[in-house]
Amino acid sequence: MQPLELGASGLEDFPALLRRHGLLSPAGPIGAAEMSKDFKPTESTTILAFKFADGVLVAGDRRATSGNTVVYDRADKVLEIDRHSIMAIAGVPATAWEMARVLEHSFQFFRRTQLQEMSVDGKVRALSKLLRDNFGFALQGIGVVVPIFATFDTKASPAARLYFYDAMGAQFEATDFAATGSGSPGVRGILYYENTWGKKPLQKLDTDDAVVVALRALDTASEADTATGGIDRHAKIFPIMKMVSAGGISTLPEEKIAELFRKRVA
Amino acid sequence: MIEEPYRWVEAIANRREYIETQLAPGSPIVALSYAGGILLLTVGRQKLFEIYDRIALGAIGHPGDIERLRMAAIELASTEGFTRSAADVSLRRLAYYSLSPVMKNAFEQIYGAPFLARLLFVEIGASPAEDLFLGLEYDGAISAGQPKEQNSRFAVLGGTKVSAEQMEQFLRKEHRDDDDLSAAFQLALDAWTLGHTSASETGEIPTREQIGELRKERLEDGVIEAAVLDREINSAVRYHALNTTDLAKLTTS
Repeated sequence: MQPLELGASGLEDFPALLRRHGLLSPAGPIGAAEMSKDFKPTESTTILAFKFADGVLVAGDRRATSGNTVVYDRADKVLEIDRHSIMAIAGVPATAWEMARVLEHSFQFFRRTQLQEMSVDGKVRALSKLLRDNFGFALQGIGVVVPIFATFDTKASPAARLYFYDAMGAQFEATDFAATGSGSPGVRGILYYENTWGKKPLQKLDTDDAVVVALRALDTASEADTATGGIDRHAKIFPIMKMVSAGGISTLPEEKIAELFRKRVA
Repeated sequence: MIEEPYRWVEAIANRREYIETQLAPGSPIVALSYAGGILLLTVGRQKLFEIYDRIALGAIGHPGDIERLRMAAIELASTEGFTRSAADVSLRRLAYYSLSPVMKNAFEQIYGAPFLARLLFVEIGASPAEDLFLGLEYDGAISAGQPKEQNSRFAVLGGTKVSAEQMEQFLRKEHRDDDDLSAAFQLALDAWTLGHTSASETGEIPTREQIGELRKERLEDGVIEAAVLDREINSAVRYHALNTTDLAKLTTS
């Protein structure tokens, strides 16, 4: 008997479909001769996420740099992928934003074709695969992306899930907090301190307290790391913060962040 | 081999008759606009699908063929939406440029298998005037559901022509664009009942009271499936299927 022949689309995920149409070029190696020594890709830095009372808070500063030049001071590194997933990026935005776009479409493509939501494990792995495909660029130092992925699955326990990745695509599940990017050592220090010796562990904080901790952590990071924008007191540029909880994703309004900054951080 | 044109025409006619017989028992699908968007409704196994942010599909026919066409539509819309933007995904292009020629070709290649499917695509626009209803036949023919009267936008898919015509006639009389969801739901269910009944009976269109009695009987055959394209939702994805709680509320109201 002939084995059952599956249609191409039966096994294909969305990136594979794009590749079949030549719409997603694999990150092929670039020869050493083609590499310009002077080329410095735009990079974005310092993102953090931690679990708090309602779910997960994800925050990122706004700066994008290229070498020692500030390219942009209003970059958005905290991206909504679907109703219950947030991806935050540190690294080269050209690659990261494309990854976020592929991911967003992948989840929807899966839901529409398979007639069910992709599982949390499936989503986490989809990002891992994209990172691995990008490893050629990462190795050459021009396309490194180190994301954080936060999601909320009401059917699972714990419902709030938080992952961070390395540039090769390994996924690590964080129990309490995660931070990546050049300013992350300072951020990790603060989050560890708050979680262990602070007034309350991070998971018990309410929204206001969580925002204050995130602001203080990013401010501290920018103190020692020039690539981290932190809080721009003159131009009034504040970090982007999003929360994912049972009801979905909400973006903290800038006025609210500004108010908490004025009262408890400045 | 079929050398003479006459034989080809005959073969096509036979094929048409065969397909019509296959599609005849299909449970009808009703799509109609209401104050907040467009409602799609049918009864039986799953036949309503999300194609893209603003596009929904209802289909009658062989599950295998429906699945092939559904996958093709999703792949086309998704790649377009990814490479350009969601706003550039157009139902008109999807139906006229991509699907219709393929279906026509399959139908006319008389040594190959045709698609045993009749499709209804619905796209929600920014305003009711921009909504689009497109029916796609197994032979590639497209019927654009342009409203014959203003303030009433709907389209139906029936197993037979008689069934579709009766539903249309009924909706033309009863349907208004500004109905709320629960009124639209009741009306769609009545239209479905009529479409499902007329497969066997013809003649005068019964009143809504008469339909109401028939409805109970017909509904014993299967479960109601309904979905909406929501114009007012604060999200790029306008499609959502009504779950059992929504349906229970709408059925009893």
